[in-house]
Amino acid sequence: MKKSLITLGVAIVAVWAVTMPALAHHGGAAFDQTDRITFSGTVTELRFANPHVLIFFDVKTEAGATEQWSGWLTAPNKLARAGWTKRTLNPGDEITIAGSRHKGGSHILQIEMLVGPDGKELPRFED
Amino acid sequence: MRIGTIRSLLTVPAVFAVVLCVHTAQPAAQGTRGGGAAEATPPSRPAPARDLTGVWMKATPPGVQSFNGATWTPGVPPPLTAWGLEQLKGNRSNNTGDYTLDQTNDPVLIKCFPPGVPRVYFHPYPFEIIQTPKAVLQVFEYDHFLRRFWVDGRELPTDPDLLWMGNSVGRWADDSTFVVETVGFDLRTWIDRAGTPHSDQLKVTERFRRVSFDRLELDFIMEDPIALAKPWTATGYFELRTDWELGEISCSGDYLEWPGA
Repeated sequence: MKKSLITLGVAIVAVWAVTMPALAHHGGAAFDQTDRITFSGTVTELRFANPHVLIFFDVKTEAGATEQWSGWLTAPNKLARAGWTKRTLNPGDEITIAGSRHKGGSHILQIEMLVGPDGKELPRFED
Repeated sequence: MRIGTIRSLLTVPAVFAVVLCVHTAQPAAQGTRGGGAAEATPPSRPAPARDLTGVWMKATPPGVQSFNGATWTPGVPPPLTAWGLEQLKGNRSNNTGDYTLDQTNDPVLIKCFPPGVPRVYFHPYPFEIIQTPKAVLQVFEYDHFLRRFWVDGRELPTDPDLLWMGNSVGRWADDSTFVVETVGFDLRTWIDRAGTPHSDQLKVTERFRRVSFDRLELDFIMEDPIALAKPWTATGYFELRTDWELGEISCSGDYLEWPGA
């Protein structure tokens, strides 16, 4: 199970790496503040590392298909000061996640709201 | 910069993008601060004498002008000499939006070179002050840069080696004001994120003023007879974070090969 999750994670990264030219101008300006979406999703991986903590998650569409998404948070040092560890989210956790979508249309969010599996909102900043 | 392989094409822009995102102030990011700057802060305890120890984080009071974004005096250009203006043309900053990530030659973005002083203060991460008998140490969370402010009475060098973070000496002007003078900066550094250049004559004076137990005001005075027509000054505001510890960030380890998301 863990191996397939890791494989999925690697595959996700590979997909994004291939699509990187479209994402070359990332940063805050790369996310459309007017295109905000909210999901219920299932965590597949929490990548608790610099420069950005990433949450990889699956979303079920209305048609029943599974979409793979990721969300950006701030740096792990800042989240750690807000109480996060690398185990704060784990594969299988059900989350509610909302944010601004990447302008290129890829399945990437800049996370602006995050509710963990216990129903509590998770902090996104060190203050 | 030559770009040979597909992998380079993919990773290099990704690095720029990542570093830009991390290094740029995020105004919207403060939206969920609990209470935060809009509330009145309780009166603070007085500053301990000759003591700057602890972890400090930039915290500009509301309504106060301070350095932000890419440069020391937003809205007011640096007082560059003709030489300085000429050098500026060759510095292609991405942080001002003038050049794309593919066009920039910002050494911090493309090579993870040390940002130098005082540009290092633009990175949105805390620093820690540790005091020893011979030197006051300033440790930055960003790329764990360490500066030593010698307090053993030595003079500022008159013919310094050009170092990434300069050569510093420090002294207490009074019980709550610590003055650091730094000279001898590597010529590959910029003095802000906008590409403002300096020469080997740059001198940076920092006046650390601990105005209360948990508040520090830091005056920056940049002097460079070759690059600056007159001193360029700015003030930063910092808060003591007694429950914070510095973590690790490695620009070269964490950013250069980050595949993005």
